Amino acid sequence: MSARDEILDRIRTILSRPELSFPPVEAPPLTADERMTVTHAEGDAAALARRFGQELEKLYGSYEILSSAIEVRLALINRLTDWAAEEDAARKGPKPETFGQERMVLSWAPAQLPIDGLAEALADMQWQLVAPDKLTSPEALEKVRFVRFGVTGVEAAFASTGSMLVVSGPGTNRSASLLPFRHIALIPFSRLYATMEAWLTERRAAGELVDLLRTRAGWNMITGPSKSADIEMNLTLGVHGPKYVHAILFDDTRPVISEAERAEIARLMALDDDE
Amino acid sequence: MTTSTIDLTLPYKTRVQDALGNKHLRTALDRSTGRMAGQRVAAMTAVDGQLLRDQVRQMKEHVIRNLPDLLEELERTITANGGHVHWAKEGVDVQRLVVEIARKANVQKVVKAKSMATEEVHLNQALQSAGMKVVETDLGEYIIQLAGEPPSHIVAPVIHRRVEEIAEVFQRELDMPPTLDPQVICSVARGALRKEFLSADMGISGCNFAIAETGTCCIVTNEGNGRMSSTLPRVYVVVMGIEKLVPTVEDAFLQYQALCRSATGQQCSVYLSMTNGPRRPGDTDGPEEFHVILLDNGRVDMLAKEYGEALCCLRCGACLNVCPVYREIGGHAYGSTYSGPIGAVISPSIHLEVTDVDKLPYASSLCGACREACPAKIDLPRMLLELRRDVVEEGDAPLFDRQSMQAFSFAMGSRGRYEAAGKLGSLGSNVFAGMSGGNIKFMPGPLAAWTSSRDFPPLAKRSFREQWKERQRGRKSIGEGKKEE
Repeated sequence: MSARDEILDRIRTILSRPELSFPPVEAPPLTADERMTVTHAEGDAAALARRFGQELEKLYGSYEILSSAIEVRLALINRLTDWAAEEDAARKGPKPETFGQERMVLSWAPAQLPIDGLAEALADMQWQLVAPDKLTSPEALEKVRFVRFGVTGVEAAFASTGSMLVVSGPGTNRSASLLPFRHIALIPFSRLYATMEAWLTERRAAGELVDLLRTRAGWNMITGPSKSADIEMNLTLGVHGPKYVHAILFDDTRPVISEAERAEIARLMALDDDE
Repeated sequence: MTTSTIDLTLPYKTRVQDALGNKHLRTALDRSTGRMAGQRVAAMTAVDGQLLRDQVRQMKEHVIRNLPDLLEELERTITANGGHVHWAKEGVDVQRLVVEIARKANVQKVVKAKSMATEEVHLNQALQSAGMKVVETDLGEYIIQLAGEPPSHIVAPVIHRRVEEIAEVFQRELDMPPTLDPQVICSVARGALRKEFLSADMGISGCNFAIAETGTCCIVTNEGNGRMSSTLPRVYVVVMGIEKLVPTVEDAFLQYQALCRSATGQQCSVYLSMTNGPRRPGDTDGPEEFHVILLDNGRVDMLAKEYGEALCCLRCGACLNVCPVYREIGGHAYGSTYSGPIGAVISPSIHLEVTDVDKLPYASSLCGACREACPAKIDLPRMLLELRRDVVEEGDAPLFDRQSMQAFSFAMGSRGRYEAAGKLGSLGSNVFAGMSGGNIKFMPGPLAAWTSSRDFPPLAKRSFREQWKERQRGRKSIGEGKKEE
């Protein structure tokens, strides 16, 4: 008999003993109706974004909230520039060798990011968005080893805990939110949920929760920068993962220009043509 | 690697005496356990903590009641996701299986995320004997690996060391310049361990919980070493106890939150890493091989011997942090991979070689703090008492235990005998206290069993009953009595 069958048979035999004191014979599963929501958050998308930011800040992360998608490119460039200056200022010894990776940003494939044209916008400011096809060998990893910055989108973000869910798949590598010292997450309001339970409920109701998990190999929920308390319970940041986590939350629920504005522009252009 | 000064195979009494005599250990434990216990209370009272505990308990009872079916479901889903499932009855089977997987994949270097299950089966030693380099990557585990010591706490493995001692290890082993700044120590570890991650062939971790319906293995970490170990190496192996599974995704997120709040007082750990098999076509990164080893090693015995309730354990360490005994003696005195109240309960069943394992149920004052702290509401004091009963029934209890209980029943049987015994105790104990100068350092005969490892305060010169009687007569108050003495 295999180890598997021996173990399973033995458990079944023990569980069939009527005098067994534990577990109880009646042990119903938790149902969706009774299962609690542990944390709570309320309000519209803007309120949830603020709550998300507050929670992240408590954990030594940082955030900004933008009222439209148009502002994201500039915000990202500003953040990268500030961070680079911060690192230069904080450096004590000579500049370490970075093998040409100093201006690189490890990223998801541009098509997977929630904002178009990021690679071009960054290139204008001498930043290079790098989204390798493969990061499965020590040689490939060596090529991004000294990259200090990472940028990703999210599958979902949860306001009540300041958590973001990232999922591996074509174009959405796991490394960009893990290997660099600093990670920027781009979070559109449409992917923001009050709680993790709210997201679970929605996916389950749509009948896609199980398939979603099974078809993607690597899921990570990230809540703040990497940290440890192993040394006498002292907080230390950036043990293995990013030491700095910055969330750029932006409102993608409104059209970039309103219908009224669009009509006004059309009217003015028509006037131009007339002249 | 340096030689450890910590020897877990010494007799129980020696281990406890060593711990109590270690002033630095007490400082380290004082600094840490109190803080963790306080943070847990804050996190569990910030939400409906009682309901959370009730629901975790209900879910875990359902899991253990349906364990065979759920294990079969998990095996089915992991396999369908492209992973490999292996079953291990004993610790040596895990060693054999992992060495086989590693040899087949030509593995030279292994990075490990913190895992009690692999600690339990001494996996590192087996892999090292097979010629592989094994690097522990949790900061705490890395420190004790450099120092050549076993972990002393389920979630905080280096809780027994002060920052001064940790800095000394890093200066010696990694040429770190002298500093006591934890952030600098941490940066040195980041640099050293990053090299290991990028060149490792195999990652090994435990599993905080696996989801039966999806075949997902979840690990909960704050540092990111779990993510690194499950993402970068070619081969990823998970070693999990057979009880550590949950039926659904929602159950996983419920247990996750109970675990984080109970272990460290966090709402969420920094990372919850969930692996559903090897990397898929089109994926940029992730392991190409994924193995899960399901480990029994005495867990089924626990169920058979009526200690099945302990299989609800989430391994959060909350019972350690509130235990007055653990807080005095630390983890190593238990001599087992698992310390504290939960360790005292499961160590006799788990197939571990622990010296004096039958003494562990006595490393408790039965105060009940562990039961109140447990997120799965495990009745640890009940099981500790039952384990003591087992020891007595097997005739292994000290002769004094039985005789003293008989003497106690006799003395308590009548008021006269009770009062006489009190007088005798007071007189006797004060004579010995006088000889020791304050507290009693030694007592005669079988009573020496107590004073060999503890002091004993002398009994009051006059009993409460006597003092009360005098007070009632109105001759003099207790305060005046004291003045006269």
